[in-house]
Amino acid sequence: MNNSPFVRKAASVQSVMLQVLLALLPGIAAYVWFFGPGILVQLALASAAALAGEAAMLAIRGKPKALFLTDLSAIVTAWLIALSFPPIVPWWLTVTGTLLAVVVIKQLYGGLGQNPFNPAMGAFCLMIVAYPALMSQWPAAGQLDFATQLQLIFGGVREVDAITGATPLDALRTALRSAASPDSELHGLRAAQLMDGPAFGWLGGKGGEWVALGYLVGGLWLIQRRIITWHIPVAFCGALFASALVLWGLRPEGFASPLFHLASGGAMLGAFFILTDPVSGATTARGKLLFAAGAGVLTWVIRSFGAYPDGVAFATLLMNILVPLIDMKTQAPVFGHKKD
Amino acid sequence: MSEPTALGLSARTGGVMVAFTIVFTALMAFTYGATKDQIDASAAEEKMKLISEVLPPASYDNLLLDDYAALGPTRELGLDNGGRVYRARQAGQPAALILETTAPDGYSGRIDLIVAVRADGSVSGVRAVTQRETPGLGDYIDPKKDKDKKAPWITQFTGLEAARLPQCKVKKDGGDIAYHTGATISARAVTNAVARAARYAADNQNRLFAAPSGSTL
Amino acid sequence: MDTQAYREIAWNGIWKQNCGIVQILGLCPILAISTNIVNAVSLGLATILVMAMANLVIAALRNFIPYEIRIPVFILIIAALVTVVDLAFNAYLHELYLVLGIFIPLIVTNCIVLARVEAFAAKNEPGGSTVDGIAMGIGLTLVLAVLGAMREVVGSGTLLSGIDMLIPGAQPIVLFGADYPGFLIAILPPGAFIALGCLIAGRNWIEARKQARARANPPAPSAPADAPAEPA
Repeated sequence: MNNSPFVRKAASVQSVMLQVLLALLPGIAAYVWFFGPGILVQLALASAAALAGEAAMLAIRGKPKALFLTDLSAIVTAWLIALSFPPIVPWWLTVTGTLLAVVVIKQLYGGLGQNPFNPAMGAFCLMIVAYPALMSQWPAAGQLDFATQLQLIFGGVREVDAITGATPLDALRTALRSAASPDSELHGLRAAQLMDGPAFGWLGGKGGEWVALGYLVGGLWLIQRRIITWHIPVAFCGALFASALVLWGLRPEGFASPLFHLASGGAMLGAFFILTDPVSGATTARGKLLFAAGAGVLTWVIRSFGAYPDGVAFATLLMNILVPLIDMKTQAPVFGHKKD
Repeated sequence: MSEPTALGLSARTGGVMVAFTIVFTALMAFTYGATKDQIDASAAEEKMKLISEVLPPASYDNLLLDDYAALGPTRELGLDNGGRVYRARQAGQPAALILETTAPDGYSGRIDLIVAVRADGSVSGVRAVTQRETPGLGDYIDPKKDKDKKAPWITQFTGLEAARLPQCKVKKDGGDIAYHTGATISARAVTNAVARAARYAADNQNRLFAAPSGSTL
Repeated sequence: MDTQAYREIAWNGIWKQNCGIVQILGLCPILAISTNIVNAVSLGLATILVMAMANLVIAALRNFIPYEIRIPVFILIIAALVTVVDLAFNAYLHELYLVLGIFIPLIVTNCIVLARVEAFAAKNEPGGSTVDGIAMGIGLTLVLAVLGAMREVVGSGTLLSGIDMLIPGAQPIVLFGADYPGFLIAILPPGAFIALGCLIAGRNWIEARKQARARANPPAPSAPADAPAEPA
């Protein structure tokens, strides 16, 4: 088995994680600009929960607390959770999800470097299956002021049905499905016409596409800093684009366009920050290509035909299961590659 | 002891097998006979319980389960393989129709419903019989799965008057029926199926009530 | 057979060879039906009934069943008994029958039943075989009950919901109040796998601790006589 190359020295883990956090900042800035500062509250909640959960588990397991708490890996998990959950989920949902990620998905499997599944995506899947209604309520850009957001996060009562909608991904899929039904008023309309609503921007969801651009910028910086390699983002985006292109090319009235897929949901976050997780992802160069391409195709399949709003999380977990096999099968050429 | 011949062995095992088959088939046949009446009664009781949720038992006085007409494939009701219409009568006068109907366009496939439509054209009640909508998201169309126990979503159709039927659409489509965010499709499928069933009942009321009991239309 | 032998059989079925968490047999009904205690225990009771009857009948008839065709005969007998139980549920516990649905007929294909018939009843006398069937069934039922309780408490915050199908008028226990949002994943299939994993881990932990303790202070009578003598 390959362990990630980053767990040798705590100091290097810390510096890598710090740069990952920095790389998330452009996306977070766009997020705050378009959707309000509620997300900052969620980031703080998740970070606190992650540190508390990590500290408790380290104490139980008798590991040195100071060393592992300051490596920032729990904070990265926490931020990815907060950024992939809707910004207005109740506080207990963020906290529960983060605790599950850190305690169950990371520490019960042996802590940093040992977890077979990406903790943030594991938590996302658990929570979306457990609370699909709460996890599907996304505000549109600029729709809610900070006070309303705080009230939704900390207030008990949620009368949000009227003020929130599904994600642009889900909304478009819903519209496409009704357009396929002969009884619907939308019958015969194409994706481009269905995307005329206020929730949509040029490529993806209004505002959401700018957040995705922020992640892209941060991700490119990570590649430039050699924190991640180009393999996973390129293979993931390429596979997602290609699989979307095939059916969209054949039947543009039934499927979303490839660019919409890239600019929506968790695609950019997944490509640069989630699938690139060195612990739960593949480690060899060919393995990374295979791993990320598989995730790209699965993301498109789940988005187009599945029951839940986004497919990145499920695709990541499914490919995580295959990582040992992928690493084993792609190991041989590594001997030749190592020398160059 | 001499080795048994192949033929002898086959005959012996075959005989034993037949004997066991006869004995245990008899056991099953006996149990079937002993429980059949009880099973039929339980099934009828179950059906009446379902119907009583959509139509109060006080509003009719005939033997409902015996007073039905069979429908062939009916597009208006979404029935590809046919279904049944039960006729509720009060003192011999038409009281309500209970229609089996299917919403073909649920999020995860077909949703089977029963819809009770009174003789004045109003909807008495609706229940989902089988559905496979996303758990926790679209399955609120089934009151057993609806988190709101006091006023389950599907009770919006209870007592829906004939005059309001043109507004029997989800709010997103410009009608009166509320739905849960992120799960419009399930609600829309049921709502449209109810509207179609109510319209069908109104259009065919005389024909449906007049058909002899047990006949196929 | 003496009491000791019966006790041995019972312990085997309930703990040592527990078909749910040791042999990991019959997962299909275990995972599918354990969404709450009432469903889980009901299916468990049906399985106990079938296993006890199948073991009894086959042990009693074992001298009449030719070795060459024993498997088809076993299946025939098990299928007939399951049909009887299925019809009885349909007639007298109709609501429960609708909930358990296909999983009562599927007891026929549950490998535990055939495994016990083949491994035990075909070679032992009826008394011991019946005890074995009941013990194995109880082992399965216990796993089902614990799984059902875990999933029901976490998933919907209640215990014994649907009890009125067995005892008319009985009320389920609401643990966390009516506002508990539920943890739906516990009730869905993934929750079954996670909960079963926790149970298996729990049993392994208990066994490991027992062994560690046995190693730490070995029981006096079984101390090996030929062990090298400790210097005094």
